[in-house]
Amino acid sequence: MYSYLLDKEKLKCCYQCGKCSSGCDINRLDGSFQPHRLLHLIGMGATDKVLKIDSLWKCTTCFTCSERCPQGVKITEILWLTRAFAFKSGCIPELAVIQRDTLLKSGRLMPVDNKKREKAGLPAITEESDVAAQIFKIAEEKEQIL
Amino acid sequence: MRYAFYLGCATPVKALKYEISARNLARSLGIELIDIPEFGCCGFPVKSMDSFAAILMAARNLAIAEEKGMDIIGVCTGCTAILSEAKEYLEDEKLREKVNGKLKALGVKEYRGRVKIKHFARFLYEDYKPDRIRDKITTPLASLEFGIHYGCHYMKPTPAHGQFDDPANPFTIDDLINITGAKTVNYPNKNLCCGLTIMGTDEDLSFKLAAEKLECLSGKGVDAMVVACPSCCIAYENNQKLVGKKTGKEFSLPVLYFTQVIGLAMGLSEKDLGFEFNRIKADDLLQ
Repeated sequence: MYSYLLDKEKLKCCYQCGKCSSGCDINRLDGSFQPHRLLHLIGMGATDKVLKIDSLWKCTTCFTCSERCPQGVKITEILWLTRAFAFKSGCIPELAVIQRDTLLKSGRLMPVDNKKREKAGLPAITEESDVAAQIFKIAEEKEQIL
Repeated sequence: MRYAFYLGCATPVKALKYEISARNLARSLGIELIDIPEFGCCGFPVKSMDSFAAILMAARNLAIAEEKGMDIIGVCTGCTAILSEAKEYLEDEKLREKVNGKLKALGVKEYRGRVKIKHFARFLYEDYKPDRIRDKITTPLASLEFGIHYGCHYMKPTPAHGQFDDPANPFTIDDLINITGAKTVNYPNKNLCCGLTIMGTDEDLSFKLAAEKLECLSGKGVDAMVVACPSCCIAYENNQKLVGKKTGKEFSLPVLYFTQVIGLAMGLSEKDLGFEFNRIKADDLLQ
């Protein structure tokens, strides 16, 4: 999955022009976040190093860099998926762990308050809460394609 | 016109005014939004945890809608982007086969790649058509001026959404709001991200982003900001006081959903548009 989405050939197309970083509002506010540098490290195969870089979690996933890239590299996607790598290797912010646990427990990122909904005249939400947990389990059973 | 209504996680919990106004607007326009109890999380939060689980979650929702023979209308820009992205990736036969193999274990039939996904605003613009809404305007909002915040995932990434709007100079929601007679302003940081996705990992940075847009639009003197995503609304409305406090500024900018604005112009009641849930009261504007 990772290799499929990463599209390594496309990653090699990056000639480090820096257009991603120069158009990035996070980079403008916090110079420690430099998409082109992260991309360079990933392209060089230094993924282990990237996983430990805190600024990996500063990307808002706004996709501005991907839209600007003259080479059509899916930069946001690559950074996003690198986070999933980081997650598996334990280099993760606390919030991500809380989010995962909430999802596993309730099947949603934000548990529903059906009483409040009823009061507002909205229908109750009755989906099965264990779907997310099932999916996490099934995803783990896959052959190692990451 | 029957569509599978994809609510997502945030709207039914944090954005009741959006859900109420979207449902009532759709009803008034003769669009049937069908609740699908089996729908689950779109996969957005999971993408940072397990990319395969994320695409399985999205694919499961797509397969459920497909089995019911309905296209999807979403209200959250994040959900519509993730579902559209999954659709794009699942055009790859090998990946689709792999995903379909796993869907069986979830009791869902295979996904064949036929379902379409659109954000409600995009649907109104592309399929319902602005002219048909214009016919239903009874209370023109000629005296009002709004600043539209689109939300990044409304039209990006373009490979997944297609080029229905222009990410550098978005116009579809402006056009929808202009039908009501209200003006929309152009402003320098119109394309700025709300920053909510990093609120949990870097609150200062997230609030700095939100403050920039709030400051710009407050300076423009608009009557309200108009949004199309529950997450953006949390960033600009729910957090507005906190953002002001943390950045040493004071904001008092009402934030409305596009569904509330169009509904107002069509003569829907404040109750039917969920205005009681607006945290920054828009009373001046409602008069």
